This record gives sequence, structure tokens and C-alpha cells, in this order.
Amino acid sequence: MKGILKTRLIHWRKHWIPLLFWLLFPLIVAIGIKSVTDVIQDDTKVPVGITIEEETNAAMKLYQEIKETPFIRVFKLDEDKALYQLKKHELDSVFIIKEGYEEDIHDGERNQLITSYRSDLSFAYTPVKEMIISYIQQETGRSKAANVIQELTEHYHTNKQYSRAQIAEKSKEIQKDENLLQTSFSFSDSPVDTHKKPQLISIWGLWAVLSILSTLLLFDWVIKEKRTSVIKRFPFLRVSIKNYMLGNIFLYSCLLFIIDLLTLLVFNLMFDVSINVWALVSFRMLITIAAYLMANSFKQTFLFYTLSFAITLLIAIGSGAVLPAMGISEKWAWIENWNPIHPFLTGQITNPWLFIVILFLAITFVRKEKINA
Amino acid sequence: MLSIESLSKNYRKSNILRDISFTVNPGEIVGLTGENGAGKSTMLNILATLSRPSAGTITLHDLHYQRNTKNVRKQIGFVPQDIAIWEEFTVEENMIFFEKLSWKNKTNKQLRELCLDMKLEKWKEPVHTLSGGMKRKLNIAISLIHDPLLLLLDEPTVGIDLKSRKEIGDYLHKQARNNGKMILYTSHDMDEIISLCDRVFCIGKDPFYYKLLQDSGKNPILL
Repeated sequence: MKGILKTRLIHWRKHWIPLLFWLLFPLIVAIGIKSVTDVIQDDTKVPVGITIEEETNAAMKLYQEIKETPFIRVFKLDEDKALYQLKKHELDSVFIIKEGYEEDIHDGERNQLITSYRSDLSFAYTPVKEMIISYIQQETGRSKAANVIQELTEHYHTNKQYSRAQIAEKSKEIQKDENLLQTSFSFSDSPVDTHKKPQLISIWGLWAVLSILSTLLLFDWVIKEKRTSVIKRFPFLRVSIKNYMLGNIFLYSCLLFIIDLLTLLVFNLMFDVSINVWALVSFRMLITIAAYLMANSFKQTFLFYTLSFAITLLIAIGSGAVLPAMGISEKWAWIENWNPIHPFLTGQITNPWLFIVILFLAITFVRKEKINA
Repeated sequence: MLSIESLSKNYRKSNILRDISFTVNPGEIVGLTGENGAGKSTMLNILATLSRPSAGTITLHDLHYQRNTKNVRKQIGFVPQDIAIWEEFTVEENMIFFEKLSWKNKTNKQLRELCLDMKLEKWKEPVHTLSGGMKRKLNIAISLIHDPLLLLLDEPTVGIDLKSRKEIGDYLHKQARNNGKMILYTSHDMDEIISLCDRVFCIGKDPFYYKLLQDSGKNPILL
């Protein structure tokens, strides 16, 4: 193995630029595409200006609530600047959280807490306004409930005293449990979590597709080396062609897996997403062996490259890994079940394709052994 | 000693080699010549264990070819007609590459000496920049890394200049005389065969090569 590693290092040193390019290709391109789509998604959000006249807990909570609303991009500005931008139609609408907001909420006062501005081109004003009103009603309602509970406690001289914070906390708990918007609805026994944020692009799905392409293209060495006259020397070497190929599959797998671990780390840091490491190992083994088997059956690199791109495209479309294709998978479930990426994306370690490629690899080498004997 | 007894090779009902017997002694250079398609390469492939004879036995010292194929291969240095080297590698990288996969470990110094013995001095040069003669020398040097007893060369000097041809010839001569290697050599070049080989075998029905060798004073053996 040491000998094979040294011979491979000579090859890698000679072709380090394309090697590095294809090794990092899935990671860099996946980050690039994800960043571009995130920017596009951000640009399509409605810009709304918020002015906070008092930096109290209640005011900041409301600001946070508005900020977390999907499809709204919030800009925290002072009143003059916000109104200037609204006039220039750079903002859709402006909401000013007035001085004394927290006190009014505690008192259960619902009127004139927020001042809002809109222009003749505002189209998100009404939904944002309704959302703020709903939030204020919820908060004032909670406050009123706390007031009533405290009054009743005093009136009936109960032993247990509840603070406003405790009452508010309990109220939030009840709200969370009973919230219809976060309840799981299901059709035909397949539950769908409605509180999950929809994602336009799955970063691991994108990476998996790009990884298939890069691994296939990296394995063109099999065709190139098989084509040379050097192959004629192997019967007279200590390392047989079978062991040389197996050793190199192993070395490529290790090298690619190191890059996979780097990808795992980068994705975790950048997008806060993770994946089962064993599913990653299984997926890496699958695509490395499959790439070898495919390259081994070709004599022309051009045909191999063409088929590699075609296969990648087919998997990308069929898997819904890049763009959600729930319609396809609902109609033809077998497409999803037979897609090599699917077990990886769902964190499964056992991938039926892995067993198939291992079987084919074994058959290939047993056959080669018989021919050489 | 390489011993071939009653060797035959049939391919699709045609008899390519029929009842051939000869021996090659240590320190001896044997030439193999004949017209195209006469069976020179088939013979060389059989002696290199790459093809099996239809009949007959071959032994290398005490090793029976069919029973000890792996051990026989350890003792063979095969120089294919095509230049079987990595074109993008340097001479040094080519030598190291094959040494790492070879039966014998050699130091870089030993590998370099092997090349220098063949007058292959461009150690750090990429192979694709070398002349045809230099590439042919490297092709032979790689086959000698594991110190084989038997060296089989399939037209090793085809398409190269006279100087390189002479240098290769001198080197092979030294290997046979000083190191006791058995060398079996195929070529169409009569001058080369006459000057280099101790004995010459003619394969095929065409008497052209046989007569040519007889006229030159060499005593060819018709197989």
C-alpha cells in the first residue's frame, strides 16, 4: 500500500491543479450557489422601516417578531431617515414604536402604541400592520390576563402568589401547545410539519449532486492509465493491476473523505446544517466505487465525460435535491426510493446502491483475476 | 537456463508455432527474426508468460512456466515494443514509480546508476522532451529494476538513431557477459542481429532472412 501511495503521490504532484479544483469544486460551488440564492431571496423581501423610540424589552420583542417574519426585510432607522426613505420609495412602509410602549402594554392599553406610515406604492403595509396589531393584541391580552389573575389572587387571599412574569410564561406555554399554525397536519398518513421553514435550496442536496460530478470526473485517471502501454508492465511487477486499482480506489476514497469532513465543518459553521457522518461515509464509498466501475467500462474519455454530465443531471432532476420536486416524488415514489442521493439526504447509513456497486466491483475483480491467471 | 521443448501454438485452427525446441544459456544473447506474422511476438509473449502454449514445456532454471508462473515472472524483464513509460513524468519519477511497485527495493542512487550505465543522463528531464533513443533506453532500464535473469526484448531499437542503437547494444552485451543474463531479442534489423547476437533463430516459412543470415556468415537455426 505504501508503494501504491508513493506512485499515486507522483501522479497527484503532476496534476495538482485539476486535482485541487475537482476536490474543492462541490464545496465552493455549493457555497456559491447557496449564497447567490440567499441574496436573491433577500432582494425579493419587502423592505420595512422600524423606528424604536424606547429600547425596552417589550419594544425589542416586537421588533424581533417583525424581523423574523418571512418575506420582510427590516431596517432599524431613526424617524427622519425612515420617512425620507419611504418618500423615495426605498421602503414599503414605516412603523414607529412610540415612547411608553411597554408601560401601555402592561396597562393593557391598545391604542396609539405604534405610528405607521405608508406611500402610494406600499403593498405590504396592510399585512405588516395586521401582524403588528395581532401581536400587540396578544401581548395586551396576556397583560390583562395577568392583571385579572393578580386581582383575583388578592380578592380571594389565596396562599400561592403568581408574578406577572410567571403568568406570562404560562400563557406562552399554553399558546405554544394550542397554536394551530404549528400543529402537524397530515394527508394520507404522511405527516407534514407546518412549522418547518421552507428552503429553496438544500445545501447537502446540492453538494451531493456536485460531488457525484466531481468524483466521476476525477476518476478519468482509470481510462487514461488503462489506455497507456504502461499497463503491459504490471504482470512483471510485485503489485498486480488488480491491487494497484483497488489501492488507488482506497486512496481516492480517503482523500475525498478528508474533503467531505472539511465540507461538513464549513457547512456547519456557515449554514448551521449537519449530516450523519456514517451516511456521509456510505455515500462517499458509493460514489467512489460507482465512479471507478463506470470509468473502467470506458475507453474514450469524451464519452465518459458526456455520460458523467448526463447522469449528474438526471440525478439532480430526479432527486429534488437541488430544487424541491415533491410533485414527482408523490406521484412516483419509486423515483425517490431508487435515487442514490435519497438515503444520504435522509441520514440513512444503508444505501441499497452501495451493496449493488460492491457486488459489481467484486465481480469485476474476480473476472479480471481469472483472465490474468 | 531457459529451455523450450516441443512448443506449439495454435490459434483458430492455424498452426502459428510448431514443435519448437531450443535453449538459451546464461550470458547468451539470442536473436529471433522472421517476416511479419511469422510468430516472433507470439513466441515472445509465450516466453513472457503473457500467452499459454498449446503444447510443449518451458522451464527457466528449475521453474516450470505453468506451475510457477508468479515466480517465473519475477525473473523476467520484459521490454514491450511500445514505449511503456509515463510521458509526463521525469526519468527519475518513472524509475521511482516502477521501483515502488517492483519486486526489489532500490535506492535512488542505484536507479540513477542503472540509467547512467545506459548513457541515459537526463535524470530530471520530463520524458516527453527526450529523444526517441533516450525513451527506448528508459524503456529498457525500467525492465531491469528488479534484476531479472531473463530479458525479453520486442524490437527494442525500432525507430532510433545509430548512436543510441549502438549504446543499447553495448549495454545488452555487457549485461549478458558481465552479469550472466539471458537475452532474447526480436528484430528485423539484420546488421543489429548479426553484430549483437550469439545465436539467431529464424521463424517462418520465408527463406529470405535465413539466406541473408547465412550469407553474412552467421549460422542461423530455422525453427
